[in-house]
Amino acid sequence: MSDNVELKHRIFKAMAALLEDRSITVSEDTPLLGDDSALDSMKLLELCLSLEDIAADLGFEFDWTSEAAMSKSRSMFRTAGALASEFLSQMASKQ
Amino acid sequence: MIIITGASKGLGRAICERLLSSGVEIFGVARDVTNVPFESMNCDVSSYDEVKRVAQALKRDGKKVSGLINAAGIASMNLAVTTPPKVAEKIIKTNLLGTIYCCQLLSPMIFRHKSGSIINFSTIAVALGLKGESIYVASKAGVEGFTRAFAREMADFNVNVNCIAPGPIGTDLLKGVTSAQISKIVSQQIFQRQFTPDAVCDLVEILLDSRSNTLTGQVLHVGGA
Repeated sequence: MSDNVELKHRIFKAMAALLEDRSITVSEDTPLLGDDSALDSMKLLELCLSLEDIAADLGFEFDWTSEAAMSKSRSMFRTAGALASEFLSQMASKQ
Repeated sequence: MIIITGASKGLGRAICERLLSSGVEIFGVARDVTNVPFESMNCDVSSYDEVKRVAQALKRDGKKVSGLINAAGIASMNLAVTTPPKVAEKIIKTNLLGTIYCCQLLSPMIFRHKSGSIINFSTIAVALGLKGESIYVASKAGVEGFTRAFAREMADFNVNVNCIAPGPIGTDLLKGVTSAQISKIVSQQIFQRQFTPDAVCDLVEILLDSRSNTLTGQVLHVGGA
């Protein structure tokens, strides 16, 4: 398994740990925004803090307050996959 | 550690000195911290990027942040129709957006610990609708509304968000305001006397104390309004 795939799994695992419904399997398409979101707003913020901690372990700062985070169409929060991709992209650009 | 904006002078500085004398670890933020004798950083709160730099620096330091006091603010006594657009913009950007940016970017360091206190600053001018301060009042009314809604957003994390709204306190902010004008404002308070920065510092300490953790989303008027 490549480092990135492993990291993506680590991110999905961090999301899964915050889910109240443990029967949900976090995948690329799991929505994080809107009515179908797997996480409420509080859990979403907790997820961001978890990702900050994972990033700190990996030696970079994860920025979840950018313009892209807020845009509905491009938001890093639209799906679990989008968030993981943004995390990996920030890691690549900051290392 | 408590972060205080507007730490170089006025109420912000008075709050810093009070907290230091009470043995609280503080971090000051101001546009110019040249003569600030405690840990601090230059930052214009009306700039999102500058506030973000403060947040990044504090995160790197890894200090536990338990409070944020948004005391940075500016005022300009003027009728709305004679206020130049740049002045109006500066007042709104510093007082309202500055408070919002600091809450947005610095609160995650607080709510990750599931406890803490955020104190914003308004003014008695909002409650009284003071003539000649309409733009300042608009900026601070925004702060009050933001405080009430943000308190709900932070409640899940056990973080209290309140707003102190003092009457005229003897600081640089009152420069250019005549004593007759001050007396007129004071006469509209419930306690008709001018309070000192100490009264505000007392209230800050009360709001930082865990015994006031049932209070959130409140606007507290020093002197009563």
